[in-house]
Amino acid sequence: MSSLAFPMKDLIRRKFQTTLTIVGLTICVATTIFLVQFGNTIGFEIFLVAEGRLTTGFSYIFTIFIILVSFLDFLAGLLITSFLVSMAMSQRVQDIGIMKATGCLTNIVFGYFAVELFIMILSSCFLGTVFGVFMYYASINALNAFGFSMTDTSLNLWAIFFIFLAFMIAPNLLGGRIVARWIKVKSTDALSPSFFLVMASTGKGFISSRLGTELKMALRSLIRRKSVTVYSTLCLTAVLMLTTLTLAGGTIANQTTQNYVHRAIGKDIIAVGHRNMTTQYSKLLSQFFNPQQMQQFNYSDSRLLISESNISKLRSITGVIKIDSRFLVETTAYELPGYVIVDPGPPPKYARIGRYRSSQTLVVGIDPESALNEWLIDGRVLNETDSYSVVIGDSLASKIFDEPLAQRMILYEKNFTIVGVCLDTLNRGNVVYVPINIMSELVQQSGCNLFFLKIDPSKRVEVLSKINATGLEFLELNDILNEHIIFLDKIWSLIMFLPLLSLATAALCLVAYMMLLIAGQKRDFGIIRALGAKPKTVIKIVLMEILIVLAISALIGIFGGLLIALEFLIPDPIFSLNAFLSVAGWLVSTLIFLGLASLYPALKIVKEPILKAIYYP
Amino acid sequence: MVTKGKIAVVASSLCKEYQVGGHTVTALKDVNLEVAEGEFVCIYGPSGAGKTTLLNIFGGLDKPTSGKIVVLGHDLMSYDEEFLATFRSSYIGFVFQSYNLISTLTAIENVAFPAEIAGISGREARQKAEKLLKRVGLSHRINHFPSQLSGGEQQRVAFARALVNNPLLVLVDEPTGNLDLETGLEVVKVLEKLKSKKYTVIVSTHDDRIVQLADRTMRLQNGSMRSK
Repeated sequence: MSSLAFPMKDLIRRKFQTTLTIVGLTICVATTIFLVQFGNTIGFEIFLVAEGRLTTGFSYIFTIFIILVSFLDFLAGLLITSFLVSMAMSQRVQDIGIMKATGCLTNIVFGYFAVELFIMILSSCFLGTVFGVFMYYASINALNAFGFSMTDTSLNLWAIFFIFLAFMIAPNLLGGRIVARWIKVKSTDALSPSFFLVMASTGKGFISSRLGTELKMALRSLIRRKSVTVYSTLCLTAVLMLTTLTLAGGTIANQTTQNYVHRAIGKDIIAVGHRNMTTQYSKLLSQFFNPQQMQQFNYSDSRLLISESNISKLRSITGVIKIDSRFLVETTAYELPGYVIVDPGPPPKYARIGRYRSSQTLVVGIDPESALNEWLIDGRVLNETDSYSVVIGDSLASKIFDEPLAQRMILYEKNFTIVGVCLDTLNRGNVVYVPINIMSELVQQSGCNLFFLKIDPSKRVEVLSKINATGLEFLELNDILNEHIIFLDKIWSLIMFLPLLSLATAALCLVAYMMLLIAGQKRDFGIIRALGAKPKTVIKIVLMEILIVLAISALIGIFGGLLIALEFLIPDPIFSLNAFLSVAGWLVSTLIFLGLASLYPALKIVKEPILKAIYYP
Repeated sequence: MVTKGKIAVVASSLCKEYQVGGHTVTALKDVNLEVAEGEFVCIYGPSGAGKTTLLNIFGGLDKPTSGKIVVLGHDLMSYDEEFLATFRSSYIGFVFQSYNLISTLTAIENVAFPAEIAGISGREARQKAEKLLKRVGLSHRINHFPSQLSGGEQQRVAFARALVNNPLLVLVDEPTGNLDLETGLEVVKVLEKLKSKKYTVIVSTHDDRIVQLADRTMRLQNGSMRSK
């Protein structure tokens, strides 16, 4: 028989545990591969891929989310494997004793279990890779079906290889350490029926004798299987943290990014201008979720200018709350180096930053007083007194600047101070906002080629008919805003879906742990029933054990996940009461689901005949 | 204490069969037995004769395949598991052959446990347990876990536990089976005390020292009972 035959047969014989380990690790590998591939395609900055959809600022938020979730996924994978290995080994301690007692050398025993571990990890990595790639293509197809064109679907094979390797090496090393520790158990100890029954080191001092009998039994049982309890708690903590980050983080990030878009585009705003101009503006906004090659467009064409008479008509429409005139052009922006303080001194030391990079960009002249946008901004917005000052979009900022707020830029051979960086979806963040009067000087053309009207939504129909009467075209930004929001919603839903599968793994782990714990207590449960305790006493003890493990894991996992989501995931997080209630509902349901799932072994055991529980544990 | 006279256990035509690997194994064959209250009955016989099975049936832990079993006026065949649990807790004291102490509870907690199940407050149960452990000579070991006690000590804890609810029937399965001669003597002394206090005791044993204590001895062989 080959050296693989024994471990293979053993793995097949122990179907439940083998399946559990493989499913748990497979989900983690698949999730990580899916997230990284999906992130790459969508334009997140993983592996320095900065060109894609969205804007740099939005990519950054998604990137942070994916990195955090991937890291937790990896950690959960490691812990799930080590927990299941630890659990499997604790059940095999008698086999180890027999193998050693019959003369099997320690390294052969180790090799036997290490091969089992290797087979399980290899299978999981292989299955996880296949499943992750499959889910990636399924998601891309789903997004395409929703109307968002995702054409670049090539796989980042290096990333897949790296993830595969990481998941192969780390669980093997950690699991191997656990196997090595169990192998060291003396054969006499391993064969002793009381190997796990020793309570000498527990109880006194730590567990008060005043506690109820059931609680004492629950606590002592958990302590008796210390290492497995610790692993299962860590494992559940990581999975609950992952679940919280995915649920709460995803919901918060979804709401917040939608809010950013909302603020950048504005609500109930109608863009009015020449037909070509409104079409062009629509394309510039759609670049965020549906990038396409932009045709050369002559913004300076005098036909695009809105006449004074039309402006007067637009101003006088009833139902218009606020107006915002704009002048859009396209030109090249140049970076100018700046200086930053590296040592406050005295005397202070400065370092020169930046080069002379340049980029083609959209320049928008705005009236700072009447601008309808409320971007998320780093720095400040333009004000009435600003002249040669600009606010730039996040993608432009990351493309040609090191420290934009400490640098300057050149537009039309004029030197400008950068006062703010905004998160803007227009032209995918490749945009510069300049005071409109300065703009007129620069391009030597007065007036505006686009007009924004903030309207009273109840008077929408009247407003639109009056705009039509001017002969100008209009573009309802609400429609584009909705498309932005739907796009973000779909992406968040997709990237939240797979990590949530880890929940299934958590449930399986908890059930497996409870099965092990109950198996170790089966005889005790039989005895207490023989003494006259009713089945509910057994259920009560098991429920306490579950609650203790779940409470510790939930406390650390959920609060950790929330902390990461609120502190590190996203600036200015928005967490509405509805979202809070929805996330809390999901988390509570998760905990109830986990608790109920793990009660299954207890319900099974109370149905067993008492004598069988006592004499054949 | 109960007085002799009334019938505590009536077993009529008891049969117990098990299915093992597709074969039927007969553990008890037409067993008839009556035990009066306050009587000390000894059942002896070789290993596998059905002694433990018989005690399990008397204690409501197992049900016969056929026949009738009435313990303390209760027809055990007609009750469900829920009632039998209450019945065991209220009326029966069981000392198992392998002690069967709860591994996660200390000696005192093990003894107090059946009292707590029966609804006695934790404090009172503990006081009763302490008293009983003192009576079996284990007052210095009350906070030790079973794994820290010797076989004889564990057996004495098991006796204390069986007596904590003042049972009307004490069932003792091979109390000295796992003990050496000297340790077994401690258990015999405990049984002597039970006899002197007029407990109804049914004990299965091989030990002559216990047989000598009995008011009546029954021999069980190949599942069939006969008086000695």
